[in-house]
Amino acid sequence: MKQQRGIVLHHKKRHGAGQVILAVFLLIITILCALPIELIFASAFADETLLTTQGFMFFPTQLSMDGFNAVLRYGKQLFTSYGVTLLITVTGTVLGLIIMAMYANCLTMSDFPLRRFLIVWAMIPMLFSGGQLSTYIIYTSMYHLRDNLLVLILPLCVSTMNLIILRTYIQTSIPKELMDSARIDGAGEYRTFFQIVLPLMKPSLAAVGFMMATAYWNDWQNALLFITSNNKKPLQLLLINIQKSIETLLSTRNIPSSALAAMQGSIPQYSATMATVVMVIGPIMIVYPFFQKYFIKGMTIGSVKG
Amino acid sequence: MRKQGKALWEHRAQIIMSLPVFLIFLLFSYVPMAGLVLAFKDFDFKLGIWKSPWDGLANFQFLLASKRTFIQMTANTIMYYLIFTALGMVLEVMIAIAMDQLAFKRMGKVMQSVLIIPIFISYTAVQFIVYAFLSSNTGIINNLFGLNIRWYMEAKYWPVILTIVKLWNGTGYGAVLYMSVLAGIDQQMYEAAQIDGANKWQQIRHVTLPSLVPMMTVMLLLSVGSIMHSDTGLFYQVTRNSGTLYDTTQVIDSYILNAIFHNSNFGFTAAATFFQSVVGTILILLSNAAVRKIHPENALF
Repeated sequence: MKQQRGIVLHHKKRHGAGQVILAVFLLIITILCALPIELIFASAFADETLLTTQGFMFFPTQLSMDGFNAVLRYGKQLFTSYGVTLLITVTGTVLGLIIMAMYANCLTMSDFPLRRFLIVWAMIPMLFSGGQLSTYIIYTSMYHLRDNLLVLILPLCVSTMNLIILRTYIQTSIPKELMDSARIDGAGEYRTFFQIVLPLMKPSLAAVGFMMATAYWNDWQNALLFITSNNKKPLQLLLINIQKSIETLLSTRNIPSSALAAMQGSIPQYSATMATVVMVIGPIMIVYPFFQKYFIKGMTIGSVKG
Repeated sequence: MRKQGKALWEHRAQIIMSLPVFLIFLLFSYVPMAGLVLAFKDFDFKLGIWKSPWDGLANFQFLLASKRTFIQMTANTIMYYLIFTALGMVLEVMIAIAMDQLAFKRMGKVMQSVLIIPIFISYTAVQFIVYAFLSSNTGIINNLFGLNIRWYMEAKYWPVILTIVKLWNGTGYGAVLYMSVLAGIDQQMYEAAQIDGANKWQQIRHVTLPSLVPMMTVMLLLSVGSIMHSDTGLFYQVTRNSGTLYDTTQVIDSYILNAIFHNSNFGFTAAATFFQSVVGTILILLSNAAVRKIHPENALF
């Protein structure tokens, strides 16, 4: 133990100056990377008059909760959108993980006659796509999915890259003998999968699940293309609408127009907008540290091993 | 035949378990591929894709005739791909090596976590950050440097702005991959180099960099397939889809998105989509063949 510490000290001493320069260099890059994020938080908590007269700043001299108050008091639409985004994120991620795990598991069974075909079936969509235009026309005029939450869930719940990650994980980390012995013990295919394979896949499910959840949480394009009614608007679409006018935050139903006019005047525009942005990106930043190690591992598997 | 049927029946559980993903691919990937025939049709919303009359190559003639729009958006798409890929890779490798060399490991871990965060912020939110920097009255840049530039009206600044935003967004995430390669280098290689009298720089040049080359090649080749596709959010959201900026910010993907919203020029757009899909596929196949030659275990298929 003592000897080890001695080595570490020796190491530090020898690289002293170079290491300090390196640390400072990386620190500067990290700060540059973090400042824009800090700016959102700073503006959300800044006093509105300060923002309108002196502009945005990294360290506002006057703080206030007005932005958050306005959003929480009037922002009915924000809570509706939160509900929609949570719903599509949770359903999509859980559904996607289960069906992709099942598919990936089938791809690892060498005696399954359709294996080759299913591998090719999953690879082609990565190579070739119909493009935005025909996708849009087919979803709307053939499937009639306009303004339907399914259009936000189904197309995103399966991806070739995630299938590859899951399959590689099953192949490398779950011993075949375990599945075989379960079968010998009389467990059917479904039981073997749900009680033995799926629980053992946890690290890869965490990695893929986190990536899927952020993709759902952040998906704006499908919402912008297909969703029209307010009660189906996810958070990202709400952000797009707020860019055009902060008033979309208000739910106009059940409010007399005179009262509405009064409310609009009282919304601190800049800080309320930034407060909404904080509430949209906040959850990901809170959850991220818990998933970081899994997700880095998953990313590495996905891109290194095909 | 009978034997095959029996084998399939024995695997009915697997067939049922792979069915959901199979169907989702069918409905949401394969059917839209068939929709590419639009490029050869005179599309009429009332008739739908399949019943609209055939139109031969008229749409493509239209595409080529409108030189300016088509060539400009293709040129922009490729230009941004080149800038993002070149600068991105240099920065990613630099940060990865610096992180790897850093002796203060705990500090490195924290910095790495911070550097990855931007990739998780959607461009709809990033748009507000960029606005806070560039708004002409309240923006930080104008205030800080005493400028009076109307950023959202001046196309010439946007290649730089978009590059900065993109690098901020993706570099940390990209660097993680190279870090994981560096973490796997056998320490004995460094020790051997040290014994041979190599200093830190020489070690980086002769041990670290060469070990990154395979991964760099693979990442480069894999990205070739997406030359024709851009980060739509970056070009559509961050620019606030401002028409005055189109000269430098319109890429194929954002053009198509706009065309869908304005219900306009479907023939032209369909031809552009077709071009995009086909060129993309050819490039993926070529680059995969190249990866297969250089580093077979990294090939996609």
